[in-house]
Amino acid sequence: MFKRNKLLSILIIFVAILVVIVGGLSASLLLSGESEESVNTGITTSTQAGTDNNLSVGQLRLSGSDPVTLDPHLATDAGSAEYIVEIYSGLVTISPDLELTLDLASSVDISDDGITYTFELRDDIFFHSGRRVTAEDVAWSIKRALSRELQSTVSLAYLGDILGAREYFFGLSEDITGLELIDDKTIQFTLDSPKPFFLAKLTYPCAFVVDGQQIEVNERNWTRKPNGTGPYKLKEWRLSEQITLYAHDRYHLGIPPLKEVVYLLSGGSALTRFENDELDVAFISVNDVERARDVTSDLNPLYSVWPQFTISYFAFNIEKPPFDDVHIRRALGLSIDRKKIAEVTFSDMLAPATGILAPGLPGYTDVDKTLPFNPNRAREELLASKYKVENGQLVTSQGEVVPIVITEVGGGAEARIDTQAFLEQWRTELGVNVEIRQTDFATYLAESDAKQLQMFNGGWIMDYPDPENILDLKFHSQSGLNDLGYQNTAVDELLELARSELNPDQRIALYRDAEKLILEDAAWLPLYFSQNHVVVNADVNGWFEPPMVVPRLRFIEVNR
Amino acid sequence: MAGYVIRRLLWLPLILLIVSFFTFCIARFGPGDPVSVAAGQIRDEAILQQIREDRGLDGSIFEQYLRWGQGAIRGDFGESLQQRGFTVSEVIFPRMWVSAQLGFIALILVFGLGILFGLIAAWANGSWIDPLIISVLLFLQAIPILVVIPPLLWLFAVQLNLLPVGGWDGLIDIWWIKGVIAIPIPDPHLYIPLVAFSLPGIAGVARLMRISALEVQNEDYIRTARSKGLSEPDIAIKHVLPNSLLPIVTVFGFALASIIEGAFFVETLLGIPGIGRFVFEAVGSRDYDVILATTVIFSTVFVVMNLIVELIYGFIDPRVRLGDTR
Repeated sequence: MFKRNKLLSILIIFVAILVVIVGGLSASLLLSGESEESVNTGITTSTQAGTDNNLSVGQLRLSGSDPVTLDPHLATDAGSAEYIVEIYSGLVTISPDLELTLDLASSVDISDDGITYTFELRDDIFFHSGRRVTAEDVAWSIKRALSRELQSTVSLAYLGDILGAREYFFGLSEDITGLELIDDKTIQFTLDSPKPFFLAKLTYPCAFVVDGQQIEVNERNWTRKPNGTGPYKLKEWRLSEQITLYAHDRYHLGIPPLKEVVYLLSGGSALTRFENDELDVAFISVNDVERARDVTSDLNPLYSVWPQFTISYFAFNIEKPPFDDVHIRRALGLSIDRKKIAEVTFSDMLAPATGILAPGLPGYTDVDKTLPFNPNRAREELLASKYKVENGQLVTSQGEVVPIVITEVGGGAEARIDTQAFLEQWRTELGVNVEIRQTDFATYLAESDAKQLQMFNGGWIMDYPDPENILDLKFHSQSGLNDLGYQNTAVDELLELARSELNPDQRIALYRDAEKLILEDAAWLPLYFSQNHVVVNADVNGWFEPPMVVPRLRFIEVNR
Repeated sequence: MAGYVIRRLLWLPLILLIVSFFTFCIARFGPGDPVSVAAGQIRDEAILQQIREDRGLDGSIFEQYLRWGQGAIRGDFGESLQQRGFTVSEVIFPRMWVSAQLGFIALILVFGLGILFGLIAAWANGSWIDPLIISVLLFLQAIPILVVIPPLLWLFAVQLNLLPVGGWDGLIDIWWIKGVIAIPIPDPHLYIPLVAFSLPGIAGVARLMRISALEVQNEDYIRTARSKGLSEPDIAIKHVLPNSLLPIVTVFGFALASIIEGAFFVETLLGIPGIGRFVFEAVGSRDYDVILATTVIFSTVFVVMNLIVELIYGFIDPRVRLGDTR
């Protein structure tokens, strides 16, 4: 009896202590000023004065996710890039109209042979800390991006055209030959050959300027409070909770009119929070698009659609039968009705692809260059091929069965609905049974890098608005990214000419011709171009969804 | 007794060694690697290979494991690839803490209510109250979390606007009355996750408690107490409850250990920055260091909790003597 009372009281005391500790800790964290006070609502209001800034007003609330990194020389994903392009800047940038424009540089001089680029910097460029930016900072940043210690998987891809960059990255040389610091305000790049797309590649975060003084002092943690040169500075980053950006009051292209941008990172349904007035912009998913399109609903006036530079496609490994035969590739392409499927399975939220270059890219035309839905022609192609159909499978002339297996990324529960629809069409129109195989993302990458996949579902997001980024990188026979085993000498020639063609119109014409040949060869079956569907709060002025990640917050205003 | 505890704890390093090595091997022998996942669209095999070498992802499995082990012993679990610039500890401990807080409160609820309902059901055995309680609880246990959360969100967050749709803001919120008086209340972000978490668990504990209490109720000493004239509530609380707690203690121990594992569904649906969702993503991204660190931590907590549960047993039940029996 005595023992049990003692036990009970011990247990109660133990639990009480735990509750007090846990509760007290979180209460003290709450009150210690780490977070702004949230008084029974989901909205955090900023009560801090911050840098006094009479020219910027308002607060924008967006949904976001934790960036993988805020280091511009390491970032490979669009999520991180969204913050990075606001916090940092480079010599050149892309405007909302997708024009290449000067950023930190006040002028660029390109030599006649197209090999030397001389940048002169502006006088009025400052880091968020107030320190002036010099050409030395630019040079330091480029070298750091390519340094071996940094272990960046991307920097060489975007800066590798600079003479000596490759040698420097692989530790074969101490310096980058093609990078020269002329004086305090001038920096010069020498390329390994004339490359008109070099400027476009410089808009990518690998070429952004970082503060060497900050990094040398704190190599590990500097990204938590980065000293950048972009229109917004990182005021606060609470992991998985919130990111707050604050307008940079010495930004050289004009102080942003929008003072504060808050990204709520905790997830949950964005649309629900939008309707709860917790967010100002929300993406519309296929489940909500009907409501958004309904002219009588509240969402409709706030709804808009924006095309993206993202293409999804089927890819064939030309070295693996039966895709070594162009007739088979064409047969598969001619027997699928992408328009119908986009309409039915995706509620028309994707645009059927009309080529490889997406709308808005130089070289795009709205002529549909892809294989149309024509089952009769498809069957003709099948007959013309060296394979026959037997019992739902393709067989060689020797009677050997050649199965077709599409590999896609998935969790094993269900294939993509559109792939299932395509399978159904191939079965009905051609009598061929195609199999689907799902793997997880990392496995898919490993197999795709090893060029082991026979047929797969792919996607590509333009890194910079130049056709070289997709046509050359994916289809040139020597390109490391050509995972199709595609080899067409005519296409190679066109691409190589385009690489060094300095006349923009002629260059675009070369890419158009290359695109045409590639589509005739049916190495890819372009499926769709993506679109962003959003609802935007009526208080927000000037919101747009650019086709690729470009800085945009400084063009937005909020009237509240 | 102290000797017993120490002997048990000596097993811990060996268990951790085996568990970590096993996990290490599984992760690395599988297809895919973190450098490949971390690379962007533009991939150059030469670059990736150099980075793999520089990160020590080459070499034999034993070399790699030794390198990891040397760091781990010092508490350095490496760097996360999903969140660059942060060490693994910095990334997982805050999330484990969040999961633990939520899990702990849920635990109190589950066991508190479970024990209560179980006792009542056992006491009401024979009447209609017993099967009613159990049926209701089973019904609640059978509903999947995925089904419970959306209606709750719709009702309380969207329609009534009483609760936030998701997110995490600590355990305690301050309710200001007239801007002057501060009253601490449980944070509104907690309510829906707690309901989702607790409903299934209460049934399990209640049923266990009920069975255990029924057994105890049929014991001789209970009949004695009744015949002595003790009131029913007295009997229930002073005699039935403590004696039927034994199986609950075991379950509680392991439930307590598992709160640091987080819960994938609840965290993903309600935007709670917990460890469950993060580990799942780490596996997908082949973030080896995160996977290993969390496995090692979970294993340690389990082993220690196992030991604590046994000790509590020995404390509660004088018939159980640990370590002395030969």
